[in-house]
Amino acid sequence: MSEGWLALLQQAFSLLLSFDPDVWAIINISFSVSFAALLLTIIPSIILGFILAFSHFSGRWIVINLVQTLQSIPTVVIGLLVYLLLTRNGALGDLKWLFTQKGMILGQMLICAPVLIALSQAAFSSVDRRAWETSRTLGASWLRAVWTLCRELRVPLLLAIVAGFSRILTEVGCSMMVGGNIMNVTRNIPTAIALETSKGDFAQAIALGLVLLILALVLNFLLGSLRGKALPRSH
Amino acid sequence: MMISDALQKQQTVQINAHNLLMKFKQITLFNVEKLTFKQGDVIYLQGDNGSGKSTLMKILAGLITPSEGQIISQGFAPKSWWQPDSLLGKAVYLHQHPYLFEGSVKYNLTYALNQLKTPASERNERMHQAINMAQLEDLLNHNASDLSGGERQRLAIARAWIIQPKLLMLDEPISNMDKQSQRLVLAMINQLKLDGTGLLISSHQICGLTALCQQHWHIKQRTIHTSMHVPTAETVHQTNTTELHYGTTD
Repeated sequence: MSEGWLALLQQAFSLLLSFDPDVWAIINISFSVSFAALLLTIIPSIILGFILAFSHFSGRWIVINLVQTLQSIPTVVIGLLVYLLLTRNGALGDLKWLFTQKGMILGQMLICAPVLIALSQAAFSSVDRRAWETSRTLGASWLRAVWTLCRELRVPLLLAIVAGFSRILTEVGCSMMVGGNIMNVTRNIPTAIALETSKGDFAQAIALGLVLLILALVLNFLLGSLRGKALPRSH
Repeated sequence: MMISDALQKQQTVQINAHNLLMKFKQITLFNVEKLTFKQGDVIYLQGDNGSGKSTLMKILAGLITPSEGQIISQGFAPKSWWQPDSLLGKAVYLHQHPYLFEGSVKYNLTYALNQLKTPASERNERMHQAINMAQLEDLLNHNASDLSGGERQRLAIARAWIIQPKLLMLDEPISNMDKQSQRLVLAMINQLKLDGTGLLISSHQICGLTALCQQHWHIKQRTIHTSMHVPTAETVHQTNTTELHYGTTD
């Protein structure tokens, strides 16, 4: 049994190190789709997080609760929603994004946004108000003052970004429903792992799993060092 | 004399408050019919703890909206069409415990300088003047969070001085400070006064700082009393003695 596992691991490493075109095409799709979704989500989500933390409009608590609820919605439900929107008779059917990377990006943006908004709102709520007041009274524009706060909160905001990225890179439900798991088009790491495992091709599934594992380790080390640098400040 | 001549040539900038009322949870903090804070004024703001000194300063700085009343600014350069015409950035407010941004002393010092539309050479000269005035030469590359209380206050005043504010409000600028730092901060404030900056200074004690002032605002019994008479250590001592003798208190 252990010899079987060792052989599988060996095959997995060999697939990765020999730059197997199928495996690396899947990795490439996975990262390009998730990076695109993340990049499109970061700025609006952080600004929304800032607005929720700093403004006092009526209905603010409803929006905060809604965002927090959206974080816990299963990705497959978001996949279903996006599927219904993008299907031929759906509201966005004319875009013809179903079973395309654009559709996957849209779905992943909807998964990523609540995480980023909630975590950035928590970060902005914890910031010393004097930072905002000092920036504004020294004549900084609204946008520059927000940028200053982002700079002050770079560690918690980076943590939020990494959390959002981890969630979309590893989700299966939405990618499977909206992307359709088409080889060289919409097959990403999680959907490929699910498929290869069901087919009994464990070597490729393990190789792709290893990529996610290595990524998780690298991100954790990076975040650990960032947390270490962000020592408590004396004011 | 020369300073007042120069000031008269330009339009004097000022902030006027009309029918100002500030409440916290239905409790009136203070109200006042009219207040004027203009360039060239040096005002001593007095009041007990919790009387609303910081709140008043923040209202005039545009950081807090009053419960009622109007704050109108006059004489400031018009902003670009896309910028809302708010009070922010017109009267600079310095916190009692200044906030220094994460980064070096130099980063903090030049924070507001980059948004000025003055030539780079002028900005550079201004920066060096500020460094000399605040005696921060040896600390420029230090992390701002490593500074002592006095050094932080000096840096905060230099950071505001560098942008040549027309109006500046200092909240307890020399509280909890050693003598040497107090002397330096006092010299910096005196320089601002000589430059013609309008100053609103709050302080608990009557000291060298209040001796610089020409007007007195006193938040007392939920209203702001204004006068041209600034209390000195002697007058305060006399008042206290009389109050003790006759057993009267506020």
